[in-house]
Amino acid sequence: MSEKLTRTQIKNLERLGGVNPADEGYSRRQFLTQVGVTGAVVGGAVGAGLLVRDQWGMEGVKPPPPVRLKDYSVERPASSPSLIVVHSTPPQIDAALGRDAELAAREEQAFRMVKAALDAMGGVEKFITKRDVVVIKPNVAFDKNPDLAATTQPDTVAAVVKLCFGAGARKVIVADNPINNPESCFYKTKVGEAAVRAGAELMLPKDSYFEQLYVGGETITGTWRMFYRPFREATKVIGVSPVKDHNLCKATVTLKNWYGLLGNPRNQFHQDIHGIISDFALMMKPTFVIADARRMLMRNGPTGGSLNDVKRGDTMVVGTDHIAVDSYCVQNKDLLDRNRHDIIYLDRAIARGLGRDWRPQWTQEITV
Amino acid sequence: MVRIRRTYEALALGLFLFFLMITDLRYLKGWPVSLFLEATPLVAVATALTTHTIYRNLVWGLVVIAVTMMLGRVWCNWMCPFGILHHIFGFIGNRRNTKQLIEVNRYKKIYAIKYYILAAMLVMASLWMIPTALDAPGKVIAAYNGSELTQTGVRRVFAALGAGFGEAAEAHKGNGNSTLQIGLLDPIALTVRSLTTSVLPTVHKATEGVYTEPREYWQAWVVGLIFMGFLVANWWIPRFFCRAICPLGALLGLFSRFSLWRIDRDPVRCTDCDLCLKSCEGASDPHKDLRKSECFVCLNCIEECPHDALSFRFLPRKASEITYPAVGRRELLLAGLFGGVFFPMVRLSGGVRKNYQKSVIRPPGSVAEDEFLRRCIKCDECIRVCPTNVLQPALFEGGLEGLWTPIMISKMGWCELNCTLCSQVCPTGAIREISIAEKLGVGPFETKGPIKTGTAFYNRGRCLPWAMDVSCVVCEEVCPVSPKAIFTRNVEVTTRWGELLELKRPFIDADRCIGCGICEHECPVKDDPAVYVTAQGETRSKERSLLLSLVEDPDASSWVSV
Repeated sequence: MSEKLTRTQIKNLERLGGVNPADEGYSRRQFLTQVGVTGAVVGGAVGAGLLVRDQWGMEGVKPPPPVRLKDYSVERPASSPSLIVVHSTPPQIDAALGRDAELAAREEQAFRMVKAALDAMGGVEKFITKRDVVVIKPNVAFDKNPDLAATTQPDTVAAVVKLCFGAGARKVIVADNPINNPESCFYKTKVGEAAVRAGAELMLPKDSYFEQLYVGGETITGTWRMFYRPFREATKVIGVSPVKDHNLCKATVTLKNWYGLLGNPRNQFHQDIHGIISDFALMMKPTFVIADARRMLMRNGPTGGSLNDVKRGDTMVVGTDHIAVDSYCVQNKDLLDRNRHDIIYLDRAIARGLGRDWRPQWTQEITV
Repeated sequence: MVRIRRTYEALALGLFLFFLMITDLRYLKGWPVSLFLEATPLVAVATALTTHTIYRNLVWGLVVIAVTMMLGRVWCNWMCPFGILHHIFGFIGNRRNTKQLIEVNRYKKIYAIKYYILAAMLVMASLWMIPTALDAPGKVIAAYNGSELTQTGVRRVFAALGAGFGEAAEAHKGNGNSTLQIGLLDPIALTVRSLTTSVLPTVHKATEGVYTEPREYWQAWVVGLIFMGFLVANWWIPRFFCRAICPLGALLGLFSRFSLWRIDRDPVRCTDCDLCLKSCEGASDPHKDLRKSECFVCLNCIEECPHDALSFRFLPRKASEITYPAVGRRELLLAGLFGGVFFPMVRLSGGVRKNYQKSVIRPPGSVAEDEFLRRCIKCDECIRVCPTNVLQPALFEGGLEGLWTPIMISKMGWCELNCTLCSQVCPTGAIREISIAEKLGVGPFETKGPIKTGTAFYNRGRCLPWAMDVSCVVCEEVCPVSPKAIFTRNVEVTTRWGELLELKRPFIDADRCIGCGICEHECPVKDDPAVYVTAQGETRSKERSLLLSLVEDPDASSWVSV
C-alpha cells in the first residue's frame, strides 16, 4: 500500500485486522458461476429474441389454423328408403286434464313418430352405434314459446336424445348459437330443459368455443368463424329443424338450420342468402336430419310471434339427405306449399351437385 | 362477541355476493335478489320524500331504522356489505403499530362531511315543499270555504289544513320539483353498481365463468375507479367512506340518538390508556364520552379494554354520551342551500324536458322521465339482470341527474321480447313491475297495446338495399313482433352495369314498432347502424308519443300489473 492513509482510514484498517477485504481477488468458483450465469442469461435472451423474431410483421395478421368438419353420414344399403314421411293423428288432448297432460301427449307423439321413422330406415342402430358422441343441432334462434313454431319442438329433441342413448351413444350434445340471447332462447323454447332432462349436455355458445372453419364453398370461399367446440369430439350429427317461413329465402328447414353454427358477422350473409345456404350442403354431411312439421310457421317468418301464423301439420320428415328433405317439405301441399323453384338455394345446391332433389320413389310414407 | 360479529359480517357479505351472482336469468328462481337494496333505509326515506310513497319491499328499510333506534348503527358493521368490504380492506392495508392505530382512530372533524352530503341530497329530494308551502294557504282557505268538508268549528280548521296541504303537496311533487340523488353514494347502490358494471365483467375476463357472452358497460371504468378509490382509501384513513362520506351512515347516525343500548365507559375502572381506540371502527371516541352517532357497534373496544371498563349497556347515563352528531349549523345551511340551488340549475340545463336526448331509451316498464328521476337510485340491478347487455349505465345523456341510470344502447344488445326481468328486480319502481302480457299488449292489455320504448328509423344513406344495391333485410328477419314492424317493398333497379336487379327495401311500420332495437343490433352496418332506435314514440309519457293513432288517455285502472 503505497498511498498515504488518513487517520480514519488507518483506524478502519485496524478494525478489519490489518487486511483490506476489498483487495481480495475472486475465486475460480465465483468466476465460473457468475460469468457463466450472466453469459447463459444474455445468450438465452438473445436466442429467445431471435426465435420469436418477426421480420415482416406477418405474425400479427396470421389467421388461426382452420378446422374442418368430418363427413358424419353413414353407409346405407341402396334398397332402404332414404326419406320417411311420418303422419300421425293429432294427440287426443283432454282439455280437462290441463296443460301438463297435453305436453305429455305431445311428447309421446314425438317419440312415437321419430322412432317409427328411424325403424322404417332400419332402426336407430343403423345410424348410432355404441360409444358414439352425437351432436344434435336444434333451431332455437329466438326466445319464443314452442307453440309459436319459430323454433324446434323440445319434445322432438328429447325423443332423439333418448333414442341415441338407447342405441348406446356415449354422449349427446345439444348445441346452437341463437340470434337472441342464448340463455333466454334455450329457456323459453324449453329445448334446454327437455335436452337436459333426457340426459344430453347443453352447450351454450361461449366466445372461446368458436374456431375458424374451412368451408371452401361459393359464398364462404375460405374460412368462417364457427361454433366448433361441440364437433371436436362428435362422431355423429343430427339436425332437428322446424318447418317455417323466412322473409328472405322463403323457407327455413333443415339446410338453413346449419346457419345457427356460424359466428358473427354472419348477418352479412343476407347479401347472398341462397349462396350461403347452398354452401351448407357442402359444409355439413349430417348423419340424418329431422324436419318437424307438427307445427309450422306459415307467415311472418322466421320469428313468428302469433298463433295465427301457425299451422298444424302432424307430420315429420326424416331423411339422410337434407336437400331432399327440404325439397319435400317446401313443395308438399300439406306442409309449406311453396313453389319449389322459388326456393333458389335448393336449385343452387342441386346444380352444384351437393345433393339430389326429392323423388317420390325414395320416399316411404307411414302413419302411426 | 367480536367473533359473533365476524360471523355475521361473513354471512352478510356472502349473502350479498350470492344474490348478486344469481341475479342472472339462469339462476334467478324467485330469490329476493334485491333484498339489500330494499333494506337500505336511505332509499326508503329519500323515495318517500320524492314520491310520497314507500314502494313495495322498501319497508325493510324501516325495519333497519327500528333496529338502529334500539341498538345504534349495527347496520354499518354487521350487515352493510360495503362496510364489511371496507373493514377487510382496512385490515389488509394496516401496517401501523399500536400507538399509530390509536391516533388514526380518533375522531376527526372531517367525519361530519357525511351529514352535509346527506343534507344536500335530501334537500334536492324535498324541493317540492317550497311550491307546496306557497300554494297551501290558498288551498286551505278554499277547502275551508268549500263544501267538501263536513266538519264545523275548530275541527273544520284542522281538516282544511290537512286537505289543503295534502292537495298542494300532491300537486307539486312532480313537475321537476325534486330529484333522487342518494343513489350516487348510498353504499348498497354504489356497491351493486360497481360490481355489476365494472368488477364482474373483469372477473369474467379472467375466468369466463360469470356470463355466457362477455359483457361491456359504457365507460364503466369511472364507476370501477371510484369503487377502488374508496376501498384503497382505507389504507390511509380506516373506514374513510363509512366515517366521512356515507349518507346512509349519516342517516343512521341521526336515528341512533334514540338507541337504547350503547357502549358505556366506567370512569372508575378506566385508566385512560386509550387502548380502546386501537381497533375502533367508527372513530366514536369510546375513551371519553361516546359519540353515539359515530359508533358502528363493532364492540372491538370492549375486547381491547384491559380493565373491563367498557360494556354494551342498556340505558347508560345520558351525561356520558354525545348524543347528536357534531355538525356545524353554518355548514349545514350551506349544504342545504347547495342542494336547493344546484338541483334546479341541473334540471334547467336541459336534457330532461325540452332537449331530451334521443339516446335516453329507458327499459320497458319505466315510468315517465320526471317520475323516473325521482325513483331511480342508479343501483344498476336492472343492468345486472339484463340478459342481452343492452342496458347500460348512462353518463350525461339524461343530464347530470341521470348519471348511471339505465338506458338501452342497441349496439350493445337488444330488449328481449319475452323478458321483463329488469322490471322485476327494480327495488324502487323506477321500472314498474310488468308482466309479459302487459309488455306485449295482449290479453287484458289488448286495448292498451304493447309497451314501446322508442321507434326505429332508417338512415337510407347507409342502408345496403337503399344506398348500395345490395340485398340484406336482416332487420326484417329479426323483428320479433307479429305482424313484423319492418316490411319491404320490392323494387327493380338497373345496376350501374345495366343489369336488372330486384331488391327488397325495408320500411318501418311505426304503429307496430316497439323500439326493442334488435334491428339496430343485427344491422350489418355496425358502427353507425342504418336502422336505429330513438326514444321518440315511447309509451311511458304522452308528450313523447309520435303517432296520433297511438295516443290515448292513460287510464288509471290500467296501471295495475297482472
